[in-house]
Amino acid sequence: MPKRDVSAIFNRRAALMSFVGAGVMGAILVRMGQLQATNLFSREYSAAADDNRFDTRIIAPPRGIIYDRFGTVLAQTSRDYQVAVVQQDVEDLEEVVGRVGQILGLSAEWARRAVIRVRGGSRYEPQPLQEGLTWDEFNRINVRLPELTGIVAHAADVRAYPYRTVYAHPIGYVQKPTQRDVERALEDPAQGESRAMYLRNPMVRVGKAGLEAGLEQTLHGEAGWRKVVVNARGVEQGEDENERRPPVRGSGVVLTIDHELQRVAMENFGADQSGAAVVMDIYTGDLLVMASAPGFDPNLFVNGIAREPFRVLNEDEKKPLFNKGVTGVYAPGSTFKMIVGIAAKQAGVEDTWAVSCSGGYFFGGRTFHCWRAGGHGRMNLHDAIKHSCDVYFYQAALRAGPERIAAVARQFGLGEHFDLGVPNVRDGLIPDPTWWRENRNEGWTGGLTLNYGIGQGAMGVTPLQLAVMSARLGNNGHAVAPRLVREAPGVTDPPQPVHMSGIASEHLARVRDGMFGVCNEPGGTGMRAGNLELVRHPETGVAVPLTPENRAWAPVQIAGKTGTAQVRALGANRGRHFSTIEWRFRDNALFCCFGPWHEPRYACAVVVEHGGAGSAVAGPIARAIMRETLLRDPARRAPARLASLESTTRSRA
Amino acid sequence: MTLAAGSNPNTLAERVSRLNWGIITVMVALALIGVLMHFSVSSGAWTDMPLTHGIRFAVVMMMVLIAATILDPRFWLAIAYPLYAGALLLLILVEVAGETRMGATRWLALGPVSLQPSEFMKIGIVLALARYYHQLDPRRTGALLSILPPFLMIIAPVALIMHQPDLGTALLIVFAGIAVMFLAGLSWWIVGGGVVLGAAGAFFAYNYVLHGYQRDRVNVFLGLADDPLGAGYHVLQSKIAIGSAGLFGRGYLQGTQSQLDFLPEKHTDFIFTMIVEEFGLLGGALVLGLFTALMALAVQVALRARSLFGKLAAAGVAATLACYVFINTAMVIGLVPVVGIPLPMISFGGTAMLTIMVGFAIVLSIDLHRDQHGTRGILW
Repeated sequence: MPKRDVSAIFNRRAALMSFVGAGVMGAILVRMGQLQATNLFSREYSAAADDNRFDTRIIAPPRGIIYDRFGTVLAQTSRDYQVAVVQQDVEDLEEVVGRVGQILGLSAEWARRAVIRVRGGSRYEPQPLQEGLTWDEFNRINVRLPELTGIVAHAADVRAYPYRTVYAHPIGYVQKPTQRDVERALEDPAQGESRAMYLRNPMVRVGKAGLEAGLEQTLHGEAGWRKVVVNARGVEQGEDENERRPPVRGSGVVLTIDHELQRVAMENFGADQSGAAVVMDIYTGDLLVMASAPGFDPNLFVNGIAREPFRVLNEDEKKPLFNKGVTGVYAPGSTFKMIVGIAAKQAGVEDTWAVSCSGGYFFGGRTFHCWRAGGHGRMNLHDAIKHSCDVYFYQAALRAGPERIAAVARQFGLGEHFDLGVPNVRDGLIPDPTWWRENRNEGWTGGLTLNYGIGQGAMGVTPLQLAVMSARLGNNGHAVAPRLVREAPGVTDPPQPVHMSGIASEHLARVRDGMFGVCNEPGGTGMRAGNLELVRHPETGVAVPLTPENRAWAPVQIAGKTGTAQVRALGANRGRHFSTIEWRFRDNALFCCFGPWHEPRYACAVVVEHGGAGSAVAGPIARAIMRETLLRDPARRAPARLASLESTTRSRA
Repeated sequence: MTLAAGSNPNTLAERVSRLNWGIITVMVALALIGVLMHFSVSSGAWTDMPLTHGIRFAVVMMMVLIAATILDPRFWLAIAYPLYAGALLLLILVEVAGETRMGATRWLALGPVSLQPSEFMKIGIVLALARYYHQLDPRRTGALLSILPPFLMIIAPVALIMHQPDLGTALLIVFAGIAVMFLAGLSWWIVGGGVVLGAAGAFFAYNYVLHGYQRDRVNVFLGLADDPLGAGYHVLQSKIAIGSAGLFGRGYLQGTQSQLDFLPEKHTDFIFTMIVEEFGLLGGALVLGLFTALMALAVQVALRARSLFGKLAAAGVAATLACYVFINTAMVIGLVPVVGIPLPMISFGGTAMLTIMVGFAIVLSIDLHRDQHGTRGILW
């Protein structure tokens, strides 16, 4: 075997390997050049790099302001001091939240819940821990911030309801969007990802009740955005100020409500009373009062209400979370008698037609009682309304017939749907024989007609509908419709109400006379409500309180009707003392009226749930509200204009 | 066969002046680039990272210069087998009592210091193979039987390292070992057979030896799987950074992918990406050029050395460096799967730097004593 020259082989192969190595290094360079050349044309890597580092952050828009008809701010955005945590920057969330809790004097339970809530949210954006801090608490946190890594203290615009319980129902409240809201937005092609992104922002609130919910689109405004530079963990590193788009405040809304009257209405419900009051302009339909008692503080909901307070509200038998003005459905009781009266007139019942009330009416093998056991004696329409005589209306109902009564009731707004822009408006029910056959699978009987005559049985109306009925009685049979929003984008002034066909002024006049009697004639069931102690100036006609000096001036009067409606089988409470009856079985007290008598302008309806007699309970509340309404006479004052309100808001901002 | 002194420098001053200062200069340049990049990794602050890198290099460089000056190749020849055996023993110890970090058992705890025996093996394999061929009768180099010992010498540590698992280091040892065998004169027939066997072995390894995450990386690399947030995320972000860098880069401290942490492992395995992102294609080319120069200088040393041990050891070190640089840079641009090989001298972390610098201490020493030539005999 020849001696191999190892050195020569080595040198050859080393040279070969060097070439290979150089080629490999070249390949690396070529590959890098290729990546860059690709990018030169497609920009795909540049775009990906930008996509990585730039992120769009939503700026929640300030919500539109809600004003009363004269410009009083009922719902606004105000500075709220908050402490929040950025999870990404925190090592031990429990520990740091616990320390924040100690600084603010909050319980360990608070910290436990806050940690659970925060864990469910974004890791990179601040998650609020506690909102609504006082200036002092805010400062205490600020001083300690250097040692609280990951904690931020900042001020944010948050919805505030300065009058708290007063507008809990008509205006409602906003809340943080729920997961369901986000999902719904994603499913809705009209909303989609951008709306979902907006909803996920922890600063964003959406309307959940009342007008806040109904006018969400108008109020929420337009989100702004910031183009921020983020690192791989999504932590903001800087902002491209040129790309910033400021948010646009939501449009303001002017309501028909008169704040002074709304406040008086809420104050006149007793602390343990449950009910609703509605005041309406009988020509424009403007709702001056939309009150429901008991109220609650809508501010509790803005930053998330705790479980226990919510449970208390939700399970309260007086149902504070319900807007009883539009969702409470009650048997109208005797307030229905005007409808029966008109129907009877239409059926040809003469003014001279009278019945004799001996305390009961025997029909179909049983006795139908009058509320007054001793009876009323001879009653014509006027007196029957004034005394609320049941026996008269049993017979009037028989003469008018249920179909006619139902038709008149519907003309006067009972059972009619009114769109006020708030959710959950209920329509009530005016049953007639057709409805009865279809829904109860049994024929209409005469007994039902008798019950119909006194507003009992299956029928149900809302306080709003009672107010509409009173308004249409007061305005001589014009189909005025209620409204809650005076001015907002897309809201137009309502047309002049038209006269309702088939409603004869002469019939209306008889019924209205009866209502006048209720409030102003001896023996009228509504005398307590009727005595307003107001007189009007002989020249200007302006209502002023009665004083010894102005006794000679003409009184300001109202016409109305009381109602006491059973909530359980007729007669079940008979003979029992009011105080021995369980609250939820007590009669509902109702009162509806319009005024002033000499020149009607306002209608009012009051319902007090399980309050007992309408004359004693609902009447005085209605009196107080009506008295204030006639004194203020809001229809005569110039309402605020949204444009000028918004311009002052802007200049303040 | 041992080494006989030729016309070699004898005084210390003479040795220092005849050190290969070209190699030293390139190494310093690379390490300084490392310091520069770690300053950028720290977002432009003198944190521990750039300082540690610089100090670590300075200390190791001093030791390298001292070692290169006082130890001549005979020392390295003498410890080649003991070093290899020791490293193998430590690898077995790792298997038995190793420390597990991040799912891999690579470390041995010796009091306060924990070390990776697989790093010793990178030098050990080169020296042991160089010694084997140095002492082998040149006529038997091509014989099939004489291939068995080096084959086993490579297989034993590679099997242990694969089991840790550390695919990158295993590959590196295989490549460096084969390079030394090839340079020693392995017959082309065997080289051809080896390629076939290697392909079969790769297939076998893919199916039966690789761990799940390693297979994922290979799959993503081969385009068999799409996983931009898993195994593919690193490479995707790296390609974005390199692709968007342009010829001159985004500027020092200005790399958005690096500075905003989209690029993972930017201080270790993906530092080359950061260099390209901030200094562009030209910056990348400069770094590759420096590494190529370092390899070329090592090859030059190998070509000039008279003894086969010197030639093979110097070339083996050059091959090891080439493997490091190639695997690392090819990995960050998606040419090979992500296997976790740092860029020596620049990536943060002492082991790769130490391995390569010990290698170059040997190269410098071989260069200093290049006229030593092989003579027959039992050691010296």
